[in-house]
Amino acid sequence: MRKKNLVIGISVVAPSIIAIAIFVYGFITWTLRVSFSNWNSFSALLRGEYKFVGLRNYIRLFQDTRFQTDLWNTLFFTLFFLFGTIALGIIMAILVDKGLKGSRLFQNLFLFPMAISFVVTGTVWSWIFAPGNLPNNPQGLNLLFQKLGLDNLMWGWYTSTDSLGHFNLALIPVIIAAVWQLSGYTMAMYLAGLRGIPNDIIEAAKVDGASEWKIFWRVKMPLLTPITLSALIILGHISLKIFDLVFAMTGSGPNFVTDVPAIYMFELTFRSNRYAMGSAIAIIMLLFVAIVIVPYLFSSMRGEKR
Amino acid sequence: MAKVELERVWKIYEGKVEAVKDATFTIEDKEFVVLLGPSGCGKTTTLRMIAGLEEITRGTLKIDGKVMNDVEPKDRDIAMVFQNYALYPHMTVYDNMAFGLKLRKFPKDEIDRRVKEAAKILGIEELLDRKPRQLSGGQRQRVAVGRAIVRDPKVFLFDEPLSNLDAKLRVQMRSELKKLHHRLEATIVYVTHDQIEAMTMANKIIVMKSGVIQQIGTPHEIYNKPANTFVAGFIGSPAMNFVDSKIIQDNGLWIKSSGLKLKIPKQFEEQLEEYVDKNVIFGIRPENIYDKMFAMAPVEGENTAAVMVDVVEPLGSETILHLVAGDDRLVAVVDPKTEAKEEQKIDIVFDMNVMHIFDKETGKAIL
Repeated sequence: MRKKNLVIGISVVAPSIIAIAIFVYGFITWTLRVSFSNWNSFSALLRGEYKFVGLRNYIRLFQDTRFQTDLWNTLFFTLFFLFGTIALGIIMAILVDKGLKGSRLFQNLFLFPMAISFVVTGTVWSWIFAPGNLPNNPQGLNLLFQKLGLDNLMWGWYTSTDSLGHFNLALIPVIIAAVWQLSGYTMAMYLAGLRGIPNDIIEAAKVDGASEWKIFWRVKMPLLTPITLSALIILGHISLKIFDLVFAMTGSGPNFVTDVPAIYMFELTFRSNRYAMGSAIAIIMLLFVAIVIVPYLFSSMRGEKR
Repeated sequence: MAKVELERVWKIYEGKVEAVKDATFTIEDKEFVVLLGPSGCGKTTTLRMIAGLEEITRGTLKIDGKVMNDVEPKDRDIAMVFQNYALYPHMTVYDNMAFGLKLRKFPKDEIDRRVKEAAKILGIEELLDRKPRQLSGGQRQRVAVGRAIVRDPKVFLFDEPLSNLDAKLRVQMRSELKKLHHRLEATIVYVTHDQIEAMTMANKIIVMKSGVIQQIGTPHEIYNKPANTFVAGFIGSPAMNFVDSKIIQDNGLWIKSSGLKLKIPKQFEEQLEEYVDKNVIFGIRPENIYDKMFAMAPVEGENTAAVMVDVVEPLGSETILHLVAGDDRLVAVVDPKTEAKEEQKIDIVFDMNVMHIFDKETGKAIL
């Protein structure tokens, strides 16, 4: 009987294990192999010029100014995106959690953007932030500013090449779009968290002498730490791999002001047939995400054991 | 420490559900008052209004002579122990106890002194570094109590604090809380549905039902002079026997029911005169009915009855008899040496000096 169960069990999981082994881990290994090769043109491969070049692709990448810009962009995008979605998510969750009239409607309203494809969001926001021909023929928001007489708020948005240190200001519209799309999701997470906090703990804190503000920072937030951690991980890996939103909204932008590694990877691999370089970027992105996710996996595995 | 006064306090939810109706009582300084009643009777709501966790719909609440109706819980100088302990899961035992003091900006060494002292009183010194989830139910209960006592508040509020503990621990905590009350000389308001907790710990019991206060009195008064059939039936286990009867005149006053005819002692006659030939409820506690062979009350022939034994429940230290007399059913707690057997007749004796008579319509005590 036990043996039979074992056979059934294995045969049920086997297809997905095999598929994952080939299409996930197999291809990761393949990509890793390619990233150490000189496969930088299709014809070269056909001629049989496929040899290993060690870390040459990686060294080239890190010397590449475009890739350096991408890394800075990813860093700033991730920081502001995480901060924005989490802060906005918490604020919306608190407001919705108050249970005021109509909060149910807003809860759904806030969550809704998540249901839309990044490509759609990107396109729509690209219209909103399209600067038009400044200063005489503005579009989108700039047009609104002009009508309101707020002319000095008009600027190039995602076409601007201004920067603060390494932070390209053109990223601001992209960050706004991304925050808009995913803060409803963090709201939902925090809302679930807030509703999971037993009421008597809050009441105990009230009796203990805590103000609303103190209750939030000293009782609720610490109890929401697991939520914050999950949000950081989930949003973090989205942010590090972001492609579709930026691609649909701005592309690389002038001077690569809104370029990200995924776009560079896409262009190298599928526009220039430089497979080895593209693979190297893929591996670097995988490492970034691994840095975020692996500690989380370990800690959650430890938690499960307990 | 302080006095708590409620004057005509009402709690009405959403304009219709009346959870507490016209509650008026005073809790004196250093008194241990128990709010007792079945679930849904408004006792917890009353406590939460004292705490400031529920708004008072009408009426006045005073602590130490000051009106507290609109004062925030944090400014009332009260401490509360919750049924589910409500410890902060992310804080150690020490921080749980210190939290209230930290919020009130006590100096660090004072906090330390108070927490350690409370921990010593409660015997949880070695648990100070632990998180609540590493503690047993009884230990959590102690921490919850500790969190209250470090604050040295004017009033302690306990909301069914022992109901989540197992029976043995409950007995132990009961006596510890009683000792703590003496030691701290604290004013305590304690909510429970457990009559034994109420009887053993309280200086004063307030019995509630459906939002209305039924009776306020010492445990002794509540037990021996219940104000109505509800209080009489709620306090005491097994519950008081109630028998539908009539008072009749036959060379003195008698209780007459379908299966019983018992002489009413002389001293009560005057009080019952106006009820002659009227229907009343006769109440007698199970421990005041004796097996005739082991009677502790005088046997006069006029306070005895021959009844059928329905069920015998020997408990070791005593035996509970379920008896049938005509249409009347009685429960008696008798000497364990009783020879009563099921389906057989037995002679029983009523201690009529401790009988109760209630108005049939209103349920109010006449005697």
